[in-house]
Amino acid sequence: MPARQKIIDDLLPKKFGWKGTVWVIVLLIFCVVGLVAYILQLSKGLVVTSMRDYASWGIYISNFVFFVAISLVGSLITAVLRLTNVHWSTPLTRIAEIIAVSAITFASIIIVVDMGRPERFYNLFTHGRLQSPIVWDVVVITTYFFISLLLLYLPLLADLNIMLQIKKRPGNLLNKLYSFLGSFWKNTPEQIKISNRSIQILSITIIPVAFAIHTVTSWLFATTYRPGWDSTNFGAYFIAGAFLVGSGAVLVAMYIFRRAYKLDKYITTDHFDRMGKIVVMLALVYLYFNVNEFLAPAFKMKKSEEGYLMGLFTGAYSRIFWFALSTAIFIPILILINKKGRRPFPAFIAGCLVVIGSWFKRYLIVTPTLLNPLLPMRDVPDSYRHYFPSWQEWAIAMGSLAGMMLIITIFARLLPIIPIQETIDEMEEHEKD
Amino acid sequence: MRKIKYIILTIGLILFLTEVSLSQVVKNKLILGLGYFNNNNQLQYLKANTKAKINGKFQQVADIHVSFYISSEDPGNLLGKAVTNEKGIANLFIPPSAKSVWNKSAKQSFLVVSEPTKEYDGVHSNFDLTKSRIQIDTLPDRKIAATFSEFRDSAWVAVKGVDMKVTVKRLGGDLNVSETPTYTTDSLGVVSADFKLDKLPGDSAGNLVIVAEVDDNDIYGNLKTERSVPWGKSSKYVSTFNQRSLFARRGWSPLWLEWMAYSIIVAVWGVLLFLFLQIRKMKKLGAGYKAGQSE
Repeated sequence: MPARQKIIDDLLPKKFGWKGTVWVIVLLIFCVVGLVAYILQLSKGLVVTSMRDYASWGIYISNFVFFVAISLVGSLITAVLRLTNVHWSTPLTRIAEIIAVSAITFASIIIVVDMGRPERFYNLFTHGRLQSPIVWDVVVITTYFFISLLLLYLPLLADLNIMLQIKKRPGNLLNKLYSFLGSFWKNTPEQIKISNRSIQILSITIIPVAFAIHTVTSWLFATTYRPGWDSTNFGAYFIAGAFLVGSGAVLVAMYIFRRAYKLDKYITTDHFDRMGKIVVMLALVYLYFNVNEFLAPAFKMKKSEEGYLMGLFTGAYSRIFWFALSTAIFIPILILINKKGRRPFPAFIAGCLVVIGSWFKRYLIVTPTLLNPLLPMRDVPDSYRHYFPSWQEWAIAMGSLAGMMLIITIFARLLPIIPIQETIDEMEEHEKD
Repeated sequence: MRKIKYIILTIGLILFLTEVSLSQVVKNKLILGLGYFNNNNQLQYLKANTKAKINGKFQQVADIHVSFYISSEDPGNLLGKAVTNEKGIANLFIPPSAKSVWNKSAKQSFLVVSEPTKEYDGVHSNFDLTKSRIQIDTLPDRKIAATFSEFRDSAWVAVKGVDMKVTVKRLGGDLNVSETPTYTTDSLGVVSADFKLDKLPGDSAGNLVIVAEVDDNDIYGNLKTERSVPWGKSSKYVSTFNQRSLFARRGWSPLWLEWMAYSIIVAVWGVLLFLFLQIRKMKKLGAGYKAGQSE
């Protein structure tokens, strides 16, 4: 029992210290600035952005693809590892699910931000064509959001029960929240059975839906005949990249929560070692798809794709291209392939690089293609030939990233970041063995 | 001291020569061409084109202001002004105001003059034209007869030895009606061509447009005459607007897609609904749980 109590004490959500408060304030500032920029965009229209006739998708869509990608980690850590009976990942499941829920929330928001007339969003439902990948994307994102939410909620029930039983309650408002969410959970065998079965069903369901969400996102591009997007490799390429960035984000979150909540006993160096290996494997898979994506077209160097490809390899986008590949793939592999590199801090750095590089990779998927149309640009103002986001776009994009991190932070403040009951169960099983 | 004096003088001389040489801007040479065009013996226009040697290659020059004249470079004979586009071309339709000058003579002279710019000096070019026309007719067995004549002494006179192409309009281009790429007019000013394209798709009535044209002739310019003939295969446009396809409008998606998509949506949301019901069931179990009951 003391061991059980120790786990509960260690894993209960804690109040923020001054660092946590400053972090929340900084995130809030970013969110407010983003909101102000969005209000400006709403009042003046999309003309405040740098998007024009050719670069009609900019960093909003890059952000959208990034958010969708990062959300896929929920299915990897929670579902794939759970179904394959991998127990070491238990402390990471909630982190992965929180990242998934917050990322998919902001994927939905940022796609509306990209619309010039967001109040017409309902037209997509009333006038949408079933043949359009955009309609599939709306359906699949909504579905994935609910599945992720359920996958976060069901394993949480037992923890809510524990939190409600504690005498030192964190406050009335929080108590009401816990009570609203999980007061019905009495830990009865029937409830546990139903819950376990539901989680199992969800874990199976989320995998095809997760694959669908990112494949459909890739089809938004691949079903369009444009240099760089006209690829049969796109679905697999997107999924490989998504698993990589999601795992990189988990590495970053693991390190931050471990430090902030002093969870060294629960998120151990072994976890970093194993996650590091997963990231290396995923980076190699993503590298393989990148080779497929660029080598074959570069070998043929069709006239219509030459401008786009050379722009990436040696031209205007080459710096970002090689930076993105280096930070998202090459350097993390070099760091994490070494056992010393899989210690918490180097792994954290590798995770940060993966996330940053992956964001730029999404930018490169969207913009250079749009600025290299199949028919040459003619009789257009010079500003149409280039794209660099306006301050409003930066503010909104940064605000959305901050918003995602804010949701994760609020989750971490309100709910146990590591599943308490599952950790206790595993400890008891371990003791039995 | 003397050495310093020489050095200062040399530097001064170099600076002076550099200044002088820099102040003399060498202008590129602009090549200006002029062409006369007449479509269907009605629409007449002039086309000026500009070229210059830039970086060792001849390239078109845009934004050159040019003025077109008839007979002579006189303000009274000004036909109009135009500016060259990115292909280095400026077109001008001959205005009705030039009718009296045009009717004065069977031969006309056109001039084009470019305005000087920072890079190019002003240049001019001219084209001396003899008025001419092409008439196109059809004969039995799908034969085409095109007659070329020039305006001489108030009458149209057939001209021998003029090269002419006889084509049919096809997909935005011109297709030769037989293996012969170019014909030459006989003593009656006529060229005869056999139309050998049997299965060429025409419009809904099977009409094709045949064309007789003279290209870039030094005396007559560019002339083109068209005529519609019912020698094509009638092609009926079948609208797919009301057919189900991947590219159809809303509500007209293929049935297989609808069946597949709705099945997946129903299946996945059926699972989610089942799970929501499971939560409800757990709630009921919790509500029925009595305090003190063993867990």
